[in-house]
Amino acid sequence: MALLFVLPAILLVLVFRIIPLFWGFGLSLTSATSTDPGEFIAAGNYLRAFDDPNFRSSIANAAVVLVSVPIFVTIPMLLAILLDQGVPGRAFFRSVYFFPVVLSSVIIGSIFSVVLSFNGSANALLKVLGLPAVDWLGSSATALPVTLAIQSWSTFGMGVLIFLAGLSTVPKDMVEAARLDGARMWQIWWHVIIPELRPIIEFSMVITTIGLLTSMFGLIYVLTGGGPGTATMVPEYLIWSAQGRLNQPAYAAALSIILFVITGVLAWLQIRMMSRNANL
Amino acid sequence: MAAAGKRQRWALRIAAIPMGFLALSCLYPMFFAINNALKTRHDYLQDRFGLALHPTFDNFVQAWTRSHLNEYFLNSVIATLGAVLLLTVVSSLAGFALAVLRFPYRRFLFVVILSSLMIPVQVVLVPYMRTMLALNLINTHVGLILSYTAFFLPFSVYMMTAFYSGLPRELIEAARIDGAKLLQVWWHVMVPLGMPALVTLGIINTLNCWNDILIALLTMQKNRTLMVGISALKGQYSDQIPLFTAGIVIAAAPIVVLYIVFQRRIVSGIAVGAVKG
Repeated sequence: MALLFVLPAILLVLVFRIIPLFWGFGLSLTSATSTDPGEFIAAGNYLRAFDDPNFRSSIANAAVVLVSVPIFVTIPMLLAILLDQGVPGRAFFRSVYFFPVVLSSVIIGSIFSVVLSFNGSANALLKVLGLPAVDWLGSSATALPVTLAIQSWSTFGMGVLIFLAGLSTVPKDMVEAARLDGARMWQIWWHVIIPELRPIIEFSMVITTIGLLTSMFGLIYVLTGGGPGTATMVPEYLIWSAQGRLNQPAYAAALSIILFVITGVLAWLQIRMMSRNANL
Repeated sequence: MAAAGKRQRWALRIAAIPMGFLALSCLYPMFFAINNALKTRHDYLQDRFGLALHPTFDNFVQAWTRSHLNEYFLNSVIATLGAVLLLTVVSSLAGFALAVLRFPYRRFLFVVILSSLMIPVQVVLVPYMRTMLALNLINTHVGLILSYTAFFLPFSVYMMTAFYSGLPRELIEAARIDGAKLLQVWWHVMVPLGMPALVTLGIINTLNCWNDILIALLTMQKNRTLMVGISALKGQYSDQIPLFTAGIVIAAAPIVVLYIVFQRRIVSGIAVGAVKG
């Protein structure tokens, strides 16, 4: 009887996620197209990926994205500590910072695409200031940094919230004792608060990394379409365009498996942290 | 903090200035969209930054009818409500069983559901679409509802399991000794007890479903949801910014309202999920 209660959940997860994972692995070893089952070509699609300039730049871009993870984690942490220490207006900041998090990446991307288009508001502002216009999303030098900046702007509120929750578990008397010992503010931060936040920092690193690898699709789809050229091409976007526009499902499946290997390790870490805390 | 030194108080006051600018930046884009949606095309081209002096709702009317946002809106509502309801039922059933009942492979099943977190839709994109095709679910609301449920389920099950396992066991034992059937225990005891967590989850899942683009883009080309519709309008309306921003405002409105009404609940609910991790 009890099993029946879990059955709907298990079935959904099996049909839409777990079985497709194995099916996808099988597909990735073939030359299938959308109409033809193709034949077994072993690692052919994987070998092809390493010769594919699109794939190479998607990995290079993903590396750039991952290098920025410490920024994505540090800024929210500092903001949360400031809020926790009682910055004036903290309740207001806390709720406003979270606002972009609830908006769809499509909404955010759409607004920024208007603001940042070549004849858009950002450049109109630059003109007023007497500065030359910048092709924010159209030049390969700025497209990826701008996209990343928008991504971090739209998610930092989540990080702030996570760190605030973590900060509420830092013993107040430890902070107080350090202060009575004459420690300066930055010394308290560095020697007392931040070490206590270590598990939260780890958790935040893991979920930020997973998020950057698997939830930038909407933003890129609306803002740049992976371009200009391949300047904002990332693995998840390449998978989508390989299966759709390029009609190469088997190749897309192979790219998917590569992404799975990269994110799987991280997700496994996240799951371990989560199940350790579910008190089962 | 009362004992905070004078120096620290000043430091915090100074820090509040850049933090204030950051807060403004969080609100400005939505304001920008609303403000420009109220302008005529001519007014917008004249002045992008100024307030809409002669506000007009024409853009909203046009976006709603001529750009088919009314259809897209309905599709989004159906998919979101359906999936949120299904997620609530499925995750509270599973959470009840996993947290309270004792049966073989209980832990294993919990891990199986959680581990599907390792499989986001990008990782199974092609086989997922083929599954949808094989089940005749492409371009159907049922298909989208089932997909959302499957992809947003692990976190919901996790949260309900954690919530139920934190409840005092006597509450549940008492109901069982009364001879109630398990399904009755679930409906009369677990659902009411789980209400705080279920409402929070319902809100979080509403955000997830409403805001989704990738799953809807893959499976609902004929019955577009709002997010798919808006991203398609983007290319079409690049020279009609007020009309486009009106579409953006319509698509974001339910979420903005939800956030304003349930702000505390959203913030605390997500924080709970985070600390648990």
